[in-house]
Amino acid sequence: MNPLRDLFERCKALLFHARQEAELDEEMRDHVARETAARQRDGRAQASREAAIAFGGIERTKDEIRDASGVAPLREWFADVHYAIRALRRNAGFTLTVIGVLGAAIGAATVVFTVVQRVLIAGLPYPDPDRLVRVYQQNSATNRWSLSVVDLQAIAAQQRTLESFGAWQATTASLSGAGAPERVRVGRATSGFFATLQVATLRGRLLEPQDDSPSAAPVVVVSYRLAARLLGGPDQAIGRRVTIDGVTHAVVGVLPAGRDELGGITAEAWPILQLRTPLRRGPFGFGAIGRLKPGVTLEDARADLAGVSERLFPLWVAGFQDREARLTPYPLRDAVIGDAGGQVKLFAGAVALVLLLAIANVATLMLVRTASREHELSVRVALGAGRRRLIRLVLTECFVLVAAAGVLALVIAFVAIKGTALVAPTLPRLGELVVDGRSVAFALVLTFVAGALISLAPLSSRLVRGYGAASLAISPARTGPGRRAGIVRGVLVATEFALALPLVTGAGLLLTSFLRLQRVDPGFDPTGVYAVLIALPGGRYGDPATSQAFWRLAESRASELNGVTAAGLAGSIPPDNGGDVNNFDLLDRPVPTGTAQPVVPWSTVSAGYFAALGIPLLEGRLFTPGDSATAPPVVIVSRAWAAKYYPRSSAIGRQLYNGGCSTCPPTTVVGVVGDVPYLGLASATEGMYAPLAQDGPRTLNLVVRSRLDAGASFRALRAVVASLDPDLAPTEIPMQEHLEQALGDPRRWTAVVSAFAMTGMALAALGIFGLMSYVVRQRRREFGVRLALGASPRSLGLLVVQGGMRYAGAGTLVGLGLVTFESRWLGALLYRVEATSPVVLLAAVALLLATGLLSCWRPGVRAARIKPLEVISGE
Amino acid sequence: MADEPNDLLQGTLELLVLKALSLGAMHGWGIGQRIDLLSNDVFKVHQGSLYPALQRMLRKGWVKAEWRMSENNRRARYYLLTRLGERQLAAETSSWQRASGAINEILRVQLAPGGA
Repeated sequence: MNPLRDLFERCKALLFHARQEAELDEEMRDHVARETAARQRDGRAQASREAAIAFGGIERTKDEIRDASGVAPLREWFADVHYAIRALRRNAGFTLTVIGVLGAAIGAATVVFTVVQRVLIAGLPYPDPDRLVRVYQQNSATNRWSLSVVDLQAIAAQQRTLESFGAWQATTASLSGAGAPERVRVGRATSGFFATLQVATLRGRLLEPQDDSPSAAPVVVVSYRLAARLLGGPDQAIGRRVTIDGVTHAVVGVLPAGRDELGGITAEAWPILQLRTPLRRGPFGFGAIGRLKPGVTLEDARADLAGVSERLFPLWVAGFQDREARLTPYPLRDAVIGDAGGQVKLFAGAVALVLLLAIANVATLMLVRTASREHELSVRVALGAGRRRLIRLVLTECFVLVAAAGVLALVIAFVAIKGTALVAPTLPRLGELVVDGRSVAFALVLTFVAGALISLAPLSSRLVRGYGAASLAISPARTGPGRRAGIVRGVLVATEFALALPLVTGAGLLLTSFLRLQRVDPGFDPTGVYAVLIALPGGRYGDPATSQAFWRLAESRASELNGVTAAGLAGSIPPDNGGDVNNFDLLDRPVPTGTAQPVVPWSTVSAGYFAALGIPLLEGRLFTPGDSATAPPVVIVSRAWAAKYYPRSSAIGRQLYNGGCSTCPPTTVVGVVGDVPYLGLASATEGMYAPLAQDGPRTLNLVVRSRLDAGASFRALRAVVASLDPDLAPTEIPMQEHLEQALGDPRRWTAVVSAFAMTGMALAALGIFGLMSYVVRQRRREFGVRLALGASPRSLGLLVVQGGMRYAGAGTLVGLGLVTFESRWLGALLYRVEATSPVVLLAAVALLLATGLLSCWRPGVRAARIKPLEVISGE
Repeated sequence: MADEPNDLLQGTLELLVLKALSLGAMHGWGIGQRIDLLSNDVFKVHQGSLYPALQRMLRKGWVKAEWRMSENNRRARYYLLTRLGERQLAAETSSWQRASGAINEILRVQLAPGGA
């Protein structure tokens, strides 16, 4: 028999009860009428009486039919549910706690499952995503970087394992359609980039091979969002012209809505990337992706590309001497996910602990509640309820509780998935996050498992298990708790403490790390410092002399602004905006041939930059107008750089080749300045600065130190830029906020884990409080007798507190074991604090035990305040 | 045996009802009549026991019920065989035939003269 159909028929019978009864009645009457008519035709005198007798008892038949329709057990079950809801409503505090704790925990777990599923596990949203690779240049397992035009062209010409291959360069650009220019994220891409991902446009066409040639007219594919915002919608966008960094591009295609990210790059516009013939091996800075031919493995591609590297090396050895560097493919999915894995694991671990804690907590509460209901249950047994009936009763209650928690969990999951972007805005693939069928199934399975675990608690009660049935003498006041149930309760409460310790320790470690990070000296004073990022378009400013003139004018006009005390220009700004790094080779201590040269952050600056940020000059000199394009090249280094490479002597006057160019004239160190981090607050501070005039940058930050507020300063800076070129779209960077944002991720993660830790501690506290309160209620009479016999109230209070602290202590000890597991993968997220820091661990243990003590305190006081006379005479 | 209405095993009654309905939709009373008729009055279906059986078969999805006008323009609840019911009938018929054939074989066995 099909159980689903059976249930459906039963439910129908139950729901349309009245109609079914009426039909039953009519059918019976019809039958008897036909029988009567038949007998009359046979000429029987008493036909109707005979017919009734032939049929038998009509009411009995109806009963049999009702039985056969199978509604009786269902109706009984509905009555049980109704009764359970009434009982739960009488105990609203308990009910709401259980539903809230369980629902929130399962909801949070479902969100994490969705994130793990969608971000870490699911394939990328392209056809055959497993064949997509990202190609890096790497010289060791930990050091990899992007490609140069030389690499791209060599791969395109020589590789045999890729079906298609494309390159991209992500940047921001000033883009203007109809109105004023605005700064947008753009991904310059070759036609191969789109061919590799195999995405389709909503309107128009993709970038195609004929667009790749430097002589072809520039075209751009735009996102749906940009088309809607600036170009009058996707239908009007095709054929329109937009200016990107001063170059006019024709819009040829619009991507479907939601395609704001391709291959891990978020951009609103995808202008064609046209590669020019390179003059040297560098600079690097292009991303590359490819699609493996069917049947080709990653290993095949690795060997193929390594061959390309080896053939390429001798051709450009004058400018690039790292023989170890290899073009290496990685699965694109790994590249897109990046180091988000660690963050998600942290989140998942914390939620798993909280979920287990919640289940242990609810199980404790259920046990205590069942135990305190033993009297009620024993009355039911005395009134004739069988063991089966009792089991059904408690299971129905569990079912109602868990079902409500499950519904709450789903609601929480659907709402909270939207909040993920707030907690983890740097998570990749955020746009793909939705609660789908798999997430719902996960929530349901979790709810079911939690329900099963929780039901074990009341089922272990003595009455339900069939001991002492039919005995009204079992009154909670007269007997202690059952030994076995007592052990179960103790283990559950201890488990809560064991689970809470890793949470509290983790939060403590992250908090310590965060506080240390916050106290890192950024090397400059950010108050009153404002910067605007200016990118000069290649066309008009292609000649270095033009751009140099622009920068000189911008700096001098900014320095003359009202309230400005210093102004300067820089390619990178601290603490984490260091786009550029550069390799160098010391003349007096060259690296062995064929090995990698040291690489450090590299910023092109004007002399005014150091004053604007307040970076002190420690030795030597700053740049002067004499450091011109034709003068011998010079650099200024940071104190850490000087200390690392010349620890026992002065770095001034030392010479080096920069950028791997051993045929260029050597560069001389002329000054040493204070340390500033450029690759993140926690990064090393060895850095180098080159003078503006000896480099030809088209993208720089104009930085001022001003006595005016942010609004006035930015207005003045915009006016300066507009006076020089009204088509530029400068980006405003308030340095104070910029510095704080660098702490954003650690701050958010610390907050999230701290919230979980707090929840965990609260649950553990609730559990032990509930248990000890119950113990005191249970042993009221015993305590009363003890008091009457001369025990001091104080000693009774201590007895209760000690009992509770035994559980808390044992649990915390077990928790220490869990902490050692945790420290293994927490280490990577910490800054200047050991994952096994004994101070943090001790503090966590102390905090947890203090919480336990506080929770046992009230039950202890209640025990001490028992009035012996009331208790004993009260019976 | 021919005099007393036979006590039918539940499963057998269901088989007979299925067979009766395979001849066309019919109301409860008519089903009883058909079974009487088809068995030459060997099986007298107890009228009251027909309806619980029909209810069970409804739940199993072998038959469905609908209200129709009968020959004398009276409303009656007609039962129809479903696709599932047809399959059930075929399956039960063949298994019944196998079983009754086997029983007949057993009953035909006679002790050989001079045997134990």
